[in-house]
Amino acid sequence: MLQEIDRVIQQYKGKPGSSIPVLQRCQEIVGYLPPEIQKIVARGLKTSAAEIHSVVSFYSFFTMKPRGDHNIRICLGTACYVKRVEEVLSKIKDNLKIDVGEVTEDKKFSIETVRCLGACGLAPVMVIDEETYGAMTPKKVPEVLAEYS
Amino acid sequence: MLKLIINDKNITAEEGETILQAALKNNIYIPNLCYDKRLRPYGGCRLCVVEVEGQARLFAACSSPAQDGMNIKTDTPKLRKYRQTVLELLLIHHPLDCPVCDKAGECDLQDLAYEYGKPDSRFIRHRKASPPDVRGPLIELTANRCILCGKCVRICRDHQGRGALGLIGRGFPTVVQPAFGEILECDYCGQCVDICPTGAILSKTFKFKARSWFLEEKETTCPFCGCGCTLTLGLREGNILRSRGKEGIGVSDGNLCGRGRFGIDYINSEHRLKNPLIRENETFREVTWEEALSHISSNLKETINTNGAASVGAIGSQRCTNEDNYVLQKFMRNTIGSGSIDSSAALGYAKVQKAWNMAFGRNSHPIDLQSPYGKEILFIVESDISVTHPIFGLNILEASRGGAQLIVADSRETKLTRHSSTWLPIEDGTGVALMNGMMKVLIDKDLIKKDSAAGLKGFAELQAMLEEYTPAKVSQITGISEEDITAAAVALGTAKSRMIALSVSATENTKGMDIALAAANLTILLGEDPSTLQIPAEYSNTYGLYHSGVRPLKPEDKGIMEILYGDQTAFSALYIMGEDPVTTFPDSSKILKRLKSLDFLVVQDIFMTETAKLANVVLPASSWGEKDGTFTNAEGKVQKVFKVVDPAGDSKPDWMIIKNLALTMEKELGVRSLEDIQAEMKESQPTVTDEETTLTFNPAKYVRGEEPSQEFPFQLVIRDVLQHSGVTSTSSKSLDLVISEALLEINEEDAKKQGVKDNSHVKVTSQHGSIFLKAKVSEEVPQGTVFVPSHFPYAKINTLTHLASNGESPISVVKIEATLGK
Ligand code: SF4
Ligand code: SF4
Ligand code: SF4
Ligand code: FES
Ligand code: FES
Repeated sequence: MLQEIDRVIQQYKGKPGSSIPVLQRCQEIVGYLPPEIQKIVARGLKTSAAEIHSVVSFYSFFTMKPRGDHNIRICLGTACYVKRVEEVLSKIKDNLKIDVGEVTEDKKFSIETVRCLGACGLAPVMVIDEETYGAMTPKKVPEVLAEYS
Repeated sequence: MLKLIINDKNITAEEGETILQAALKNNIYIPNLCYDKRLRPYGGCRLCVVEVEGQARLFAACSSPAQDGMNIKTDTPKLRKYRQTVLELLLIHHPLDCPVCDKAGECDLQDLAYEYGKPDSRFIRHRKASPPDVRGPLIELTANRCILCGKCVRICRDHQGRGALGLIGRGFPTVVQPAFGEILECDYCGQCVDICPTGAILSKTFKFKARSWFLEEKETTCPFCGCGCTLTLGLREGNILRSRGKEGIGVSDGNLCGRGRFGIDYINSEHRLKNPLIRENETFREVTWEEALSHISSNLKETINTNGAASVGAIGSQRCTNEDNYVLQKFMRNTIGSGSIDSSAALGYAKVQKAWNMAFGRNSHPIDLQSPYGKEILFIVESDISVTHPIFGLNILEASRGGAQLIVADSRETKLTRHSSTWLPIEDGTGVALMNGMMKVLIDKDLIKKDSAAGLKGFAELQAMLEEYTPAKVSQITGISEEDITAAAVALGTAKSRMIALSVSATENTKGMDIALAAANLTILLGEDPSTLQIPAEYSNTYGLYHSGVRPLKPEDKGIMEILYGDQTAFSALYIMGEDPVTTFPDSSKILKRLKSLDFLVVQDIFMTETAKLANVVLPASSWGEKDGTFTNAEGKVQKVFKVVDPAGDSKPDWMIIKNLALTMEKELGVRSLEDIQAEMKESQPTVTDEETTLTFNPAKYVRGEEPSQEFPFQLVIRDVLQHSGVTSTSSKSLDLVISEALLEINEEDAKKQGVKDNSHVKVTSQHGSIFLKAKVSEEVPQGTVFVPSHFPYAKINTLTHLASNGESPISVVKIEATLGK
């Protein structure tokens, strides 16, 4: 894994604006971006850990927490909120017995919240991996989750 | 040249200048919170908005270029309203805890709120309320007061080259923090403290010390390195409470390093000497000045009578003022009648001077702190200039950000190597071989100014000597690949303008006169004039010391080699002012032996040093902040230092002690006041301007230090650390919080092999002695070499070193053993 990361760094080294693509690749490799990995990236790209951490903390697609095999992203944007996405969220939490930002014991699922996925017409919206689910209701939750077990 | 009008005033601006820059240059103030002249425009705070005639939108003055014919207004009702709203928004989350904030009274946010603010906000307050981060040693972060202008992050990353802080998060919860909320670990330069427009970043050493409006501010010159920064001291009731830099003042122009900012509290150390002391058997007895001086007087007279004046020697100090040093050498030459006076500079900067003289035929060698600017290529040889001369280092970084190519040859990772375009990882102590190799490449590739170089004295010899320095051989010696050596040489040879810089200090053991000569050869070969080569004098007054006559001047005068390392019988008495040879000079066992063998030793210092402990008489000197005088910085600029606090105890300025001693010896020096001394110095040393330059090549061969062996497998390299400067700063309580002991840095792999753990104790043994140190396992240092700093007296580093017969202190080889339970 570390070798793979090293290869990515070597490939982008010295190119301006390389921190985002490098971090993206690292996240693909490791699944998330813990401090140790960010420090390696910082050293490799000759920048500081604080700089890398600010990038990671700024973009919502980066995560410093491990994710499950299937990552559930739930929109808490205005449109979804108005359409009671909260209820969907609590149903999912109950179902998986984890909180936002956590991973299920079997490492299968993780939950994340985001602000507006840009699909307000479908509100309330959630995304699992790359798949979008619109007009969600608490009722539909078990059904959808079952697709992934 | 652009012509524009601001507030009905006609002004001019340079092409490329912003409206704000043009205004400030013409003393027109435009409110701003996220601008600093050292940083690129950010355009984040929107306070600098101005109106431009004929344009409907408002312009952010800090990021809009000035244009010919612009008619600008900076203070209109519309702008006031706009700024008012901006401030209102900024203050929504602000805790408004000015009564307990040290920034109050000099806070940009407070001042602007006073000018434009509204007493009430239309927004519902949601104040930030996270506790301040007080974990770091010198700097405190109070995120609540932060307005997210990003100045601290930018100064640290872009200007200081450190990047210790980040704007972590997004939107409202964003905070300024070190990565991952760890404890701030950085240069501790304090630049972020000065630049923060609010009280979000503060100096812990100044916390709750005084309200800023009660402080009296006074400018003086920094006592540490040769940059000679101007410190703006904040004083109250006879105490120095803080030190900071101010834009537009001195060579530092608003920048300071951590030593100048935090280290000056050494003058308040409890180890300061307060009274004259006379040795009685194993202890010291406090005496009056009269008794001390007459005791010295009779003993020196007796020595002169029995062994002759030539048996008395003296050592001056790179930390004392020009006046102190001048009076000491005058006392030696006139009152005693001996010219045997020298200083630790003999082991460092004097070698540079000598090389300079041999290569360029010049006697003075001022550097120019601005020299990195406008150069196409900057070549730094085996020197961590960001540590030894931090402000010069900042200029190098800034020039490289501006497009200069930065080539750094260094064995270990440093700030300069991190920011370099090319890092040549070189074996320690092989810079001479590298430069010889580069010269050979330049000659072979015909990249030199043949006609001018070939006609110079020494060219044939140089060319002959360089024969053996083929890329293959140089690569083998230096560990740098042949391609890299050739590429660096070619880059240097084909550049249109260049700077070559290095430092040679008395405490380092990897560089000597030969590296200065090699660098001079390279400079001349490239057809450059001497100003291309920048070798800064080390300490606050190293440059001045040399020019005040503290060195052998006549053939019969003896220097440091004879005084401390030579024939045991040649000297019977020594007068040491402001120097601690036992700690800072190589081969301390030899020095101890020499000092103990003397009939009479006088040590005049501000602390009870290891050397003072051996003295017959110890005299308490006033420190840098307790006397008037001058320092000459590495640029040859004579700058004033001022008495800002009362002298510790009964201490007196060095020059005054010596003047009084001469009086006691009934041989008055003819100088009674500082003015007398300064007038006399001016007369006796007419300032040399426009010295003739005579170029000569002085071939310098690469000579190896001790060779690692089975028994002693590691090279020992002595280097400075950023938070200290010589021995003095180790008495600073503030700097002590950052680094308080000599750590032996060892590579991870080596540590594993030797069974050494981070933070454990190790025994270090050379052929000359052994000491115990704490180990720091680091990935920044190369394998096979261990690094120690020279600054800490208790570490007794120089037990391990030795001095070669040519006066160089070569690399020592050592063995490292893990110790148990220590
Ligand atoms: S003290 Fe200097 S190095 Fe440390 S965070 Fe502030 S600016 Fe950066
Ligand atoms: S801490 Fe100060 S300098 Fe840094 S972003 Fe906040 S207000 Fe600006
Ligand atoms: S130690 Fe040197 S760089 Fe630091 S403040 Fe003093 S003069 Fe400036
Ligand atoms: S608010 Fe949820 S998709 Fe836009
Ligand atoms: S100073 Fe111009 S936007 Fe802050």
